[in-house]
Amino acid sequence: MAAVHDHDVAHAHDHHPSGMMRWMMTTNHKDIGTMYLWFSFIMFLTGGVMALTIRAELFQPGLQIVNPEFFNQLTTMHGLIMIFGAIMPAFVGFANWQIPMMIGAPDMAFARMNNWSFWLLPPAALLLLSSFFVPGGAPAGGWTIYPPLSVQMGMGMDMAIFAIHIMGASSIMGSINIITTILNMRAPGMTLMKMPMFVWTWLITAYLLVLVMPVLAGAVTMLLTDRNFGTNFFNAAGGGDPVMFQHIFWFFGHPEVYIMILPAFGIVSEVIPTFARKPLFGYSSMVYATASIAILSCIVWAHHMFTAGMPVTGQLFFMYATMLIAVPTGVKVFNWTATMWRGSMTFETPMLFAIGFIFLFTLGGFSGVVCAIVPIDIQVQDTYYVIAHFHYVLVSGALFGIFSGAYYWLPKWTGHMYDETLGKWHFWLTMIFFNLTFFVQHFLGLAGMPRRIPDYALQFADFNMISSIGAFGFGLSQLLFLYIVLKCIRGGAKAPAKTWEGGKTLEWTLPSPAPYHTFETPPVVR
Amino acid sequence: MESNPRKATFWQIAKAVSWAFFGVRKKSDLDMDASMLTPKQVIIGGVVGALIFVMSLILLVKLVTN
Amino acid sequence: MNTIEANSVVMKKLLIFTVVMFVFGFALVPFYEKICEVTGLNNLLQADTLAENPQVDTTRLVTVELDANIRGLPWQFKPLQSSLRVHPGELVEVMYEVRNNSDREINGQAIPSYSPQLLAKHLKKLECFCFSKQVLKPNETRRMPVQFVIESGLPTDVNTVTISYTFFELAGATAATSTPKGTQG
Repeated sequence: MAAVHDHDVAHAHDHHPSGMMRWMMTTNHKDIGTMYLWFSFIMFLTGGVMALTIRAELFQPGLQIVNPEFFNQLTTMHGLIMIFGAIMPAFVGFANWQIPMMIGAPDMAFARMNNWSFWLLPPAALLLLSSFFVPGGAPAGGWTIYPPLSVQMGMGMDMAIFAIHIMGASSIMGSINIITTILNMRAPGMTLMKMPMFVWTWLITAYLLVLVMPVLAGAVTMLLTDRNFGTNFFNAAGGGDPVMFQHIFWFFGHPEVYIMILPAFGIVSEVIPTFARKPLFGYSSMVYATASIAILSCIVWAHHMFTAGMPVTGQLFFMYATMLIAVPTGVKVFNWTATMWRGSMTFETPMLFAIGFIFLFTLGGFSGVVCAIVPIDIQVQDTYYVIAHFHYVLVSGALFGIFSGAYYWLPKWTGHMYDETLGKWHFWLTMIFFNLTFFVQHFLGLAGMPRRIPDYALQFADFNMISSIGAFGFGLSQLLFLYIVLKCIRGGAKAPAKTWEGGKTLEWTLPSPAPYHTFETPPVVR
Repeated sequence: MESNPRKATFWQIAKAVSWAFFGVRKKSDLDMDASMLTPKQVIIGGVVGALIFVMSLILLVKLVTN
Repeated sequence: MNTIEANSVVMKKLLIFTVVMFVFGFALVPFYEKICEVTGLNNLLQADTLAENPQVDTTRLVTVELDANIRGLPWQFKPLQSSLRVHPGELVEVMYEVRNNSDREINGQAIPSYSPQLLAKHLKKLECFCFSKQVLKPNETRRMPVQFVIESGLPTDVNTVTISYTFFELAGATAATSTPKGTQG
């Protein structure tokens, strides 16, 4: 995908407000992307501190550090913060930086709205976090905010509901922006089927977001009116049905897990061909498989609620549908592996994270298939097996994808190479401590340790201790990532325009760091 | 596809959609899809395909439980 | 500019789609209730009908334990007998007694619960105080019947079953304004 672009570096109109106001007022996709990424990293550390407090409490049986009520608040807020504050904004940050550069557009379609959709996030996060300090504390009924607990809780729950509303509005606006940008602002000659895989996955993700985010908004609105205005959507005493909330929630919730993984698929689909120096194997299959996963993800939601009470026909339907979704996912894994087959591979940090992604995501996928089997799911529901499963999908899936993309594009963003040695250290520490933390949780779950409890029976002590040690190692390793990024921003070897030999997409035709305005004259794609 | 009475095109949509559900598509077939199918056809085809998929699963479940 | 117009067209479409999906979220509520009604799941407020001529299985006796609970309202609620033994297929009537201990009028709704769970499939209730809300005046006492049949299809390894009712206060309700929403999914 070679491109011709003529870029004049000296822009007469390149004066923007400086200092804080630059960031407040900016409509530049690169500035906004940077803010999204920093915001998500701060949220990642915030949620991480909560996770470490949880693991510190679980280091030994008995209650040592936090009381049970606060523990429940921590598990709930850890989930909400990581999902809505860390993973999703991080991917939107990547989209902001990369999509215009990868399709040869000067900026996002709606630059002003782009600014707005970012600046909704910090107030929402503050609202969510300040719920810790109100009477009754933060939401403590789990991130899924199931009634009846979420109907009975204190005002912290109302704050969380409003925060979810705001964050949802932010993602919907972001998605509208991304879809419009991709559909209307591609460089001449870039047909849909020539788009980089990352752009494709984001297009499909954005559609999923506008499909299900409003449904979540509806569900939490019903919660809000149940709590404050005497409606009885979920209130059993008033004739409502709490199980209905679970159905509506997971109608959002299952596509949501694909919203969090598809952009990671996209990043990995860029990184692997670059470092294997081969075009992506089965590009068209990848596009079709992504679309297929997106559609199927909307009809499998009830596998989250096999134990909530469901006729056996329902259980079987959702079990079959869930197991079938493994087929297009498996196709993707095979395609990545086939891309590496006989490639001239080098193992820079982005590639390491991408390979780590494939390996561990596949493990998480397999434990997902295990959980899809109804009789097994009834056994492992709400145990640490499920915790292990979705952390294998979300940490070594989404988060490894984010790290891979961050290392891959950091030279383009900052103009400097990151410290490769430290990057490798970061990968190996992350890899080892991640598995130390979560692999043993499979055993805990199979042995019957329930999730969301601050104390446990003695036979679980050893594995919990291992898991806690791993968690602290994992958490501290992420400070190394912060150091690497800061070091890369401040200096380092000058990155060439085409940082990676195998990089084929349009952003590598731009100088590093990418100038403030790029592709004001669209490139022509052959 | 309703709007397009030609049989070949209908089968082409059906084929494209069913391969898509499997997640595999040959490059040559893709080029044919890309040149002949409109997004509208693909979307309608995808939704119909999803409905057929759901129906057949329900049928299978009925068969198993009886 | 052309792109700007094209962009706002796409945005409008997507905004409409977003609103439609938001409404769809609420439309799921009646949809869900309809599905539960059609599939016969969870119809707590309707009387069941019996098969034409129920077979009474006199060779078997099942112990039925009766349980009564209240949640958050100042009532006393108990069955007049704590357990009984019935033949599957036999029509039985039991009485519950409820008393309002407060000096205000209160609306209550009883929600049934069965143990083991599969009893729900084999228990047919012809009459029950749980089919409608109960309005009790201050200090009123009321005796209420439940008529039911345990079908002979109840698996033979089940010898003891529990029928439990919990009274909830209908939220924010004064006697005149609120009625239960009917069959709930």
